[in-house]
Amino acid sequence: MAVPKAGAAEIGDPGSPSAIDVHGFVSQGYIKSTSNNYLVDSTGGGSFEFSEAGLNFTVQPLDRLSIGVQLFAYNLGTSGNFTMRADWFYLDYHLRDWLGIRAGRVKLVYGLYNDISDIDAARTPILLPSSIYPLTNRNLLFGVQGGEVYGYVRIGRAGALEYRAMGGAIDIPLPSQIGQSAEASNIDIPYLAAGRLMWETPLEGLRLGVSGVALRLNEDLFFPADSATESARDTLYSYVASIEYVAHDLQLAAEYAQARSEVRELAPTPMPIPTVVSSGGYALATYRVARWFQPGAYFSFTYANRNLGAQSDTPVNNMLTTNDENVQDDLAGTLRFDINSFWIVKLEGHYMHGTEALGAVPTEDQKSCLFLIKTTGYF
Amino acid sequence: MSTSRAKATLLILVLVFTAAIGTRAASGADGFRIIVSPDNPVGSLDRRFLTDVYLKKTTRWASDEAIRPVDLGPGSPVRRAFSDDVLRRSVSAIKSYWQQMVFSGRGVPPPELDNDGQVVRFVLKNRGAIGYVSDGADVAGAKIVPVR
Repeated sequence: MAVPKAGAAEIGDPGSPSAIDVHGFVSQGYIKSTSNNYLVDSTGGGSFEFSEAGLNFTVQPLDRLSIGVQLFAYNLGTSGNFTMRADWFYLDYHLRDWLGIRAGRVKLVYGLYNDISDIDAARTPILLPSSIYPLTNRNLLFGVQGGEVYGYVRIGRAGALEYRAMGGAIDIPLPSQIGQSAEASNIDIPYLAAGRLMWETPLEGLRLGVSGVALRLNEDLFFPADSATESARDTLYSYVASIEYVAHDLQLAAEYAQARSEVRELAPTPMPIPTVVSSGGYALATYRVARWFQPGAYFSFTYANRNLGAQSDTPVNNMLTTNDENVQDDLAGTLRFDINSFWIVKLEGHYMHGTEALGAVPTEDQKSCLFLIKTTGYF
Repeated sequence: MSTSRAKATLLILVLVFTAAIGTRAASGADGFRIIVSPDNPVGSLDRRFLTDVYLKKTTRWASDEAIRPVDLGPGSPVRRAFSDDVLRRSVSAIKSYWQQMVFSGRGVPPPELDNDGQVVRFVLKNRGAIGYVSDGADVAGAKIVPVR
């Protein structure tokens, strides 16, 4: 059987340091839900408002220096609206394998997969587990403007260590709505620090890691019903413990995250808001049965307030009021079909219980199902 | 979901899995040899070093020369054998790894060449290059390096 061939477009002599590597992708999805339109209005006939496209260029003009940029646009319901922006851009000086320095806009390192959460072709599920990688927070996933140091060190029979540490700020596009009753006039992350340490164990394919992020979040909110404005200055600390095993065609992964959110300042009406500790995690398995077929499944759970569990009706930050709004369980199954080396089609189903990870939308049912189809072309 | 629709879905899934397993069983694998520039002083290579080189985690020879790995195309049986034996992952899994790296801005994969002859020419032309070719390929002066 003839296999269609596609790969990076290389401008210049293939493999030569001066060649420009060009890669791109375009995705179109369809979403159908039984209720709780948290991504897009997808009950009834479903929705096609689920699109992504990206194009990147990488060049290595000098022996240890590389330059790259990726343009990215997406549309998901009312967000994105195909506005093109630089997903990442950088100058990278790779001094040694154990020390590289990068400046520009870099993808936030968090867990195993945060930096590929926009890239459908790079994973099996259409939606990554929302307990760690909520799609409704995708503006936070855009790049950190700042710098990063990184490296990879073999440590003999003990395996290898890979580290990344970064600092900077995140420019967040304004959402039109915050919660069910507020509009944002300003949201930004003026500074953050993040890092990840991965240990590649002596058992080949098994790696363990921990990553963390600390950030300041400034929000200026307008409440139309009261014609009132409030400003909040929050701090957020979060960590993720990760384990992944990849061997031949098998991939197993599990992660657990905990986040601590503190409101440091609230104006003009200071009120006591308790510190909230949220948590979540998932376990995922995929297996490539054939070159063209890879099924996968995961179970993901989330607690908005870890101390409440599912047993209390206590509000969280005056927003969550019932047991089921404090939790969410998500059982997902995916079938990935690699039609050829530049085209994939995925089918995915979710059964969800609880509504915590659904974001700031009116919720209707505590149990819901979500069905997605997505196709991606890439080179 | 009605019982008949559930049965139809189950039947389709069984057929898909059966077809997938069938095509997997049909896959074969060929032998390969690792080649480097004749100017390269390396005598043999550790398999895990080779893995790091092809995943671009290790980018320098001991002499500090930049390592320039080169691949065969994804449909090549020699590529499949190299991927299974050295990288311990399928070609598809390696492609997935590079998709993650490429689109997150972490790196670009080794160039893919069409045949053994192109790999040999690339290795002879570039002092830091490393490649693999089929067992019977004419290496035309390139240095064959055993894998430990």
